[in-house]
Amino acid sequence: MIAFASSITRPEVYERHALRGFRLAAEADSELLSQPANGSIFRSYNEIIERAAERDDLEALVIVHQDAEIVDPQFCPKLRAELRDPQVAIVGCVGAVGVRSIAWWEGSTTWGSFVHRYPEYGGGEFPAFSWKEHEAPPYARTGETDTVDGFVLCLAPWTVRNLRFDESLGLVLHGYDFDLCLQARAAGRTVRTADFKLVHHHSLELVGDPESYIEAHVRLAEKWDGRMPEVGRAGGDWRSRARRAEAEAAAARAQTLYARLEIDAREREHARQLEEALDSISWRITAPLRRLAAERRRA
Amino acid sequence: MIAFGSSITAPAVYERHAWSGFRRAGETDSVILSRRAEGSIFHSYNAILEQAAAYEDLEALVLAHQDVEIVDSAFCEKVRRVLSDPDVGVIGCVGAIGVRSIAWWEGSVTWASFVHRYAELGGGEFPSLTWSDAEMPPYARRGEVDTVDGLLMVLSPWAVRNLRFDESLGQPLHGYDFDFCLQVRAAGRKVIAEDLRVYHHHSLALVDSPDPYVEAHRRVAEKWDGRLAHVGEAPGDWKTRARRAEAEASATRAQVRSWQLSIDVRRRRHERAMSEIAGSLSLRLTEPLRRLRRQPPR
Repeated sequence: MIAFASSITRPEVYERHALRGFRLAAEADSELLSQPANGSIFRSYNEIIERAAERDDLEALVIVHQDAEIVDPQFCPKLRAELRDPQVAIVGCVGAVGVRSIAWWEGSTTWGSFVHRYPEYGGGEFPAFSWKEHEAPPYARTGETDTVDGFVLCLAPWTVRNLRFDESLGLVLHGYDFDLCLQARAAGRTVRTADFKLVHHHSLELVGDPESYIEAHVRLAEKWDGRMPEVGRAGGDWRSRARRAEAEAAAARAQTLYARLEIDAREREHARQLEEALDSISWRITAPLRRLAAERRRA
Repeated sequence: MIAFGSSITAPAVYERHAWSGFRRAGETDSVILSRRAEGSIFHSYNAILEQAAAYEDLEALVLAHQDVEIVDSAFCEKVRRVLSDPDVGVIGCVGAIGVRSIAWWEGSVTWASFVHRYAELGGGEFPSLTWSDAEMPPYARRGEVDTVDGLLMVLSPWAVRNLRFDESLGQPLHGYDFDFCLQVRAAGRKVIAEDLRVYHHHSLALVDSPDPYVEAHRRVAEKWDGRLAHVGEAPGDWKTRARRAEAEASATRAQVRSWQLSIDVRRRRHERAMSEIAGSLSLRLTEPLRRLRRQPPR
């Protein structure tokens, strides 16, 4: 039996996205183990895992963010195929290798079969690089990775019975996925990506609360430094690392300043072009036509 | 005599902006010491300093980026007034206090009397903090600062004869201004922000690659750590600083990515709106009218 679950903080978002995806993907005997969030995501997910662990017939536990929607009718067969290898502990749809921190996207991303659908500015979407197989770059490949992104985590029965999200880290939101993947790898198991198709309904803001992200980044680096190759490591001694990172952070902050300037400049230019177009004689003399068309549409 | 100089990499840009500003601000006896850039900005500016130092009647040397245009007709008068204090080493039009690194804008900016004019996206401008008297924040004030931005640096004769841009830092472009101001302060002299009005004709892009900036940031911090209060300092031991900064850099890179997505999305939305207008029945019906207007008169 494949179980599905979300930790719910906003029921309407859950129903519109995660639940809808579960209904598409689930099989007749699938269980839904979603529940309201209880404290941190670490704690909430552990409660779900405890419930899943009670099921003797569990084949996999699929934990999905409430704003992620499975849009793949072949989800369960694909997941079963991945879990045929008993060494596989976790499967996701976005993964990377050479990952040194919770910022998995700063490693080499090897697979990403999802669409980022945003609500801002009238809405739109960014397909990830391997969303469409025929457009995927040559380096795209499913299979073993260092970590997968936590918006969809498919856990093998072994994982459900042997691992837990590390609540002792004292974190709220970030790093739970990377830490669990490291736990799986430290136990000699593998983490894999598969060609699951999902839509992630998410704002354009990638890190909403930088302070909690920074805290998670630091704690995970401290926990795993020396226990897993490359994690928490960088070239040079602490002093040169500090100097370099402080400089890199300043450079990135300067880039955000310029990005904001560019946004302002674009907004002005767009407003100017629109005004010119809408203020043209042609546009003005045909206003009655457009009014008529609008009335017809309303009728 | 007040001398003016630029290091020139794009002569057309220099003539349109810096040269035009020098002519506006210069006096009858002013000399222009601009020269083609040779290597780093540190080296090029030092060559200008050497030339200026030879003038016995030098009252000040004004170094401006080639894309900076002085638009202040009282420029020389203001410079003379500030330099009447013999302790002043450098004057600029943008200054900040509490500065710990070459990222002076991460300190508290106290004065900025310039307009950033960009050519992209149909062109436009961003007036800085103290450009408009009516919109000046209450904390704005001219006077002593930790550093000024290198887009415009006015050097006193003492600074011209006693200091040099530190070529040993091995940097091509960044950090020369902050390092110079630190040299001035280390010598017990003052760095002053003054209401000198300039246009900075500059693109919206910061740098093509952050690497040279990162390197300059690191080297200037190493040079000055422990020599001037707060420069290169941060709380915690080196390990704590490294961990926190690595995390901050990562978080900020993610934020940069968010902003880039936002730019992309806005561009798409605008293109969609413009294409709807262009494809509308109204515009198609009136296309002959517009064609007629575009035809040259017979």
